[in-house]
Amino acid sequence: MTPVQNALLVLLVPLVSAALIALFLRRRGGLATTVSVTAAGALAALSLLLIFGGDAARFTTSVEWLRLGDFSLSLGFLFDDLAALMLFVVSFVGFFIHLFSVGYMHEDKARARYFGGLSIFMFSMLGIVLADNLFMIFIFWELVGFSSYLLINHYHEKQSAADASKKAFIANRVGDFGFLLGIILCYATYGTTNLVELRALGEAGALSATCASAIPLLLFCGALGKSAQMPLHVWLPDAMEGPTPVSALIHAATMVAAGIYMLCRVEVLMVAEALNVILWVGTITALYAALCAVVQRDIKKVLAYSTLSQIGYMVAAFGLGSTLVSPDGAPELVIAAGVGAAMFHLTTHAFFKALLFLGAGSVIHGCHHEQDMPKMGGLAKKMPVTYATFTLGVFAIIGMPGLAGFFSKDAILLLAYQNNGAVFGTLALSAVLTAFYMIRMWRIVFFGEARSEVARGAHESGLAMTVPLLVLGLLAVVGGYGNIYGRLAGDLAYLIPHSEEAHTTILVTSIAVMLLGGGLAWLLYRRPDSRDDAIALKSPALFRSLVGLQGVFDSAYGYYVAKVQQRFAMMLNFLEKVFLAGVIVRGTASLVGLVGLGARALQTGSLHAYVYWFLLGVVLLWAIVSGVF
Amino acid sequence: MSELPFDPLLLAILSPLAVALVIALGLPQRASVALACVGFGLPALLGLHTWYHFPSGLGAVAASGVGGAGGYAFQSFYDTGLSRFGIMLSLGLNGISMPLFAMAGVVGLAAGLYAIQSGAERLKTYLALLLVMQAGLMGVFASVDVFFFYFFHELALIPTFIMVGIWGGRDRHYAAMKLTIYLTLGAMLSLVGLIAIYVKSGAQTFDLIALRNALALQPLGESVQSYAFGLLMFGFGILVSLWPLHTWAPLGYGAAPSSAAMLHAGVLKKFGLYGLIQIALPLLPLGAAKWVGLLALLAAVGNVLVIGFVTMAQRDLKQMIGYSSVMHMGYAFLGIACLSTVGAGGVVLLMVAHGLSVALMFLLATSVHQRTQTFDMAEMGGLAQRAPVLAAFFVAATMAGIGLPGFANFWGELSIFVALWSFSKLFTVIAVAGIIISAIYGLRAVARVFFGSPSAQFTARVGGQPLADLGWAERLPALLLLGALLAVGFWPKSISEPVNDALQSTVSVAVSES
Repeated sequence: MTPVQNALLVLLVPLVSAALIALFLRRRGGLATTVSVTAAGALAALSLLLIFGGDAARFTTSVEWLRLGDFSLSLGFLFDDLAALMLFVVSFVGFFIHLFSVGYMHEDKARARYFGGLSIFMFSMLGIVLADNLFMIFIFWELVGFSSYLLINHYHEKQSAADASKKAFIANRVGDFGFLLGIILCYATYGTTNLVELRALGEAGALSATCASAIPLLLFCGALGKSAQMPLHVWLPDAMEGPTPVSALIHAATMVAAGIYMLCRVEVLMVAEALNVILWVGTITALYAALCAVVQRDIKKVLAYSTLSQIGYMVAAFGLGSTLVSPDGAPELVIAAGVGAAMFHLTTHAFFKALLFLGAGSVIHGCHHEQDMPKMGGLAKKMPVTYATFTLGVFAIIGMPGLAGFFSKDAILLLAYQNNGAVFGTLALSAVLTAFYMIRMWRIVFFGEARSEVARGAHESGLAMTVPLLVLGLLAVVGGYGNIYGRLAGDLAYLIPHSEEAHTTILVTSIAVMLLGGGLAWLLYRRPDSRDDAIALKSPALFRSLVGLQGVFDSAYGYYVAKVQQRFAMMLNFLEKVFLAGVIVRGTASLVGLVGLGARALQTGSLHAYVYWFLLGVVLLWAIVSGVF
Repeated sequence: MSELPFDPLLLAILSPLAVALVIALGLPQRASVALACVGFGLPALLGLHTWYHFPSGLGAVAASGVGGAGGYAFQSFYDTGLSRFGIMLSLGLNGISMPLFAMAGVVGLAAGLYAIQSGAERLKTYLALLLVMQAGLMGVFASVDVFFFYFFHELALIPTFIMVGIWGGRDRHYAAMKLTIYLTLGAMLSLVGLIAIYVKSGAQTFDLIALRNALALQPLGESVQSYAFGLLMFGFGILVSLWPLHTWAPLGYGAAPSSAAMLHAGVLKKFGLYGLIQIALPLLPLGAAKWVGLLALLAAVGNVLVIGFVTMAQRDLKQMIGYSSVMHMGYAFLGIACLSTVGAGGVVLLMVAHGLSVALMFLLATSVHQRTQTFDMAEMGGLAQRAPVLAAFFVAATMAGIGLPGFANFWGELSIFVALWSFSKLFTVIAVAGIIISAIYGLRAVARVFFGSPSAQFTARVGGQPLADLGWAERLPALLLLGALLAVGFWPKSISEPVNDALQSTVSVAVSES
């Protein structure tokens, strides 16, 4: 099997699985589960051959799929180290989430639809990973949005789930509006959207058009939607309406990371002005989402805001590549460092955030679908495996030295420290908040007394759920080490920024922020209350303003939709009905009635009258036309 | 040679007509239904036959020199006794008409099957009229002669009026009248334009290939081209619901019985676009260049933007589909306005895709109505719990309609967007914004009909009555349409290749020469 066939198989296996389930297995949940999980396992195994296939398994190939005039659209693969790394994340984390779902969704009546949705998601996501041009990325980008819509809407009888799925799709479409314009602009400007050709143009210095900063910024709009960055982040917290494994797969590990991946793909198109915007969008999202996470009660919402914040780190890391200063003092565009740090954090984040979400899923499953953290407590003894692995995830995300998150977050902080003081400060502050809300969650959920019946009756989950937790727990520990990450990422691992002199500063800072945030939370939530949050008790004003901050965007968009957009639509509809249909049309109707002298006969719907009238008209017009002209 | 030559085009036109005639002569109901299946099935099979056997590289031959078959295949000629006026029943398919011919066959079969299971009153008459309409539709796309192109359109149009008037829903008499006045006016205007071309070309022929060859040697004067194109643009524009001449469409479709709406919105409406691409652009390139600015303006601001918002405000499911179809026609006009192979090719792809998807939407809307007894979306909700298969089809049809990749519509829209960029950046931005607008109204409708909990009115009306999911009689036509949408969506080259081939030799040549 050649690598190309291998890649094609990786892409098609989940598609076949989805098609089988949709066509034949709608009522056979058990069989659908088997098909989907087998497909995920098979593609994970197949992708191993590609990832560790060495240079022989790095290739690019494409086939023309549509041609009209001089517009040609191809589908093809570009399999380099970047794609290999992303393929590992998607296929491996994906497989373990499939496995987890077997346990988590065991009693769901609509299991077949769920697993069909997972398969179609895998197909769409792998399409983005393997794509060799921007149009193809866009195609699968939209399909990822669709599969996310399906899966968020799994519990479609719930109004909140229906609303959340709609919101997610539309927010993504808003981003895609810019993304598509960016792709078209790129195509119109450079004549190609093929990533290899663009890179070649970039190396030849041929990528300096007048609209050079418009292209990356428009493309970035796509990332805003898919990676839920401000101001399009509003859909992600609501997307927690979906089943928890879906949140782990789509809304933590893979789909929301697609924005980062896409940015790294089009790195060659970046210019300094665009990177500056990207940098600040990421930084502000990182801080804003961390602030929101502090006041959440719902265990999944904490993780959702945490995801926003961590993706913000990656976006910021990518943007930071811009302002590196070369040794002679002149500003020089070196994006590679940003790519290295962003992809490093993307990978470790996929491990520990999937772990945290699945851990939360295990907790929710154990507590009979209770998601309200204050009603939990004392789960450490009842759910030892979940507790142990969740702890690894918490320590990884807050940057405990030695765990995966520590290395990748340090790389980003180092980059910020070297390039931009303000960004460094903001990201460090966000890191304090990260440690705070994670330890808060950890403490409320696992320690102290059980504060409700469901928490007292909690039980550890079965093997199908604990095995994925253990594997991801292992990856959250070792995923950051050079000899693990280095093997996965290939040349990308060399792009991670290093610095001998700043090393100590960063180390001290990151340990300090972790201890500060974590310690504060540990003390504050010693005796969690089942009704009120500790911050709300200590400082109601602070709590209220944080809650208000979280709601600002939703209120603004809600106002726009209800009061502006809908009213505008109603007004146009009124004009349409009254003005166009009433005045103009009736006017025309009477005019035609006069000219055609058969209007009344027409009302009867009589065939004869119509035909005579029509023939008369033809003859008359023919006469007029031939006579006059 | 004594054996009768096999002419798939003539057969596709005559078979539904013959079946209609036999049914009208008083065949018993059951035999009528069985025969109607043949009358609808044969054109669909023949449509697929022409697609499968369509020779590649026809356009290159046509472009290489004036004369010959002009890029047409499956040609045949029948004398109708009008040859001294230059009128011949000349049939044939080029790369532009073949995909539409095949699409018309598929949509016709789906509409026919859906009509058969609808249990409409006076079913035989209904089927006979649908069959006449189907014959006209096949004829429109199979005609190489402009006179017959127009004649077949009228043949398909007249049954529409009658079906709306008799089997229509609310406001059917008003709708039938309005439809008649508008569409007749549109047809008249375009007829004047066509006759003007006939007279002014001096070629004494309605044969499109002969006209094209004649005008290639001696183009019409600029002023003649200009008013002829104007007449065609507004005449065809009315038929395709160009803003602000579109108001017949939502009303008419709202009232029309489902199969008639499927055939009209899906296929017959494409007559105008087809006429613009096949006749107006190649014959009147100078005229086109003068008018496309206005055309694009009306389409972008009127059809896409204004009607997009109006669609959002609809409560009636069928009206919403009607308006959304008006909006999508805006994309088609924009593609034509680009005057390029990419733009026009995108329009042909979109015509095929939209024909399939809007027919599917009307079909499913009627199936929803049968279960909720209303078209008012505010009085529905939660239908997915009781009819999951219907919900799945509806979601798929909506996704096709809003241009999700994997469905045919995506390729048409994308090509039009790409083409539009070099025509006007502002209009491109407006058109691409349409993907947000259509997502909003599409998903909102899906959510209001299928998701969440049932509304109080729905519970009161339907309550605890058992509610069947989509049965096989409804599922079969829906599957047919959905399958075609997915097939083209996954493999666009199946139609883009002949389209590209044909356009390279007509539109782009004509435009570049001007």
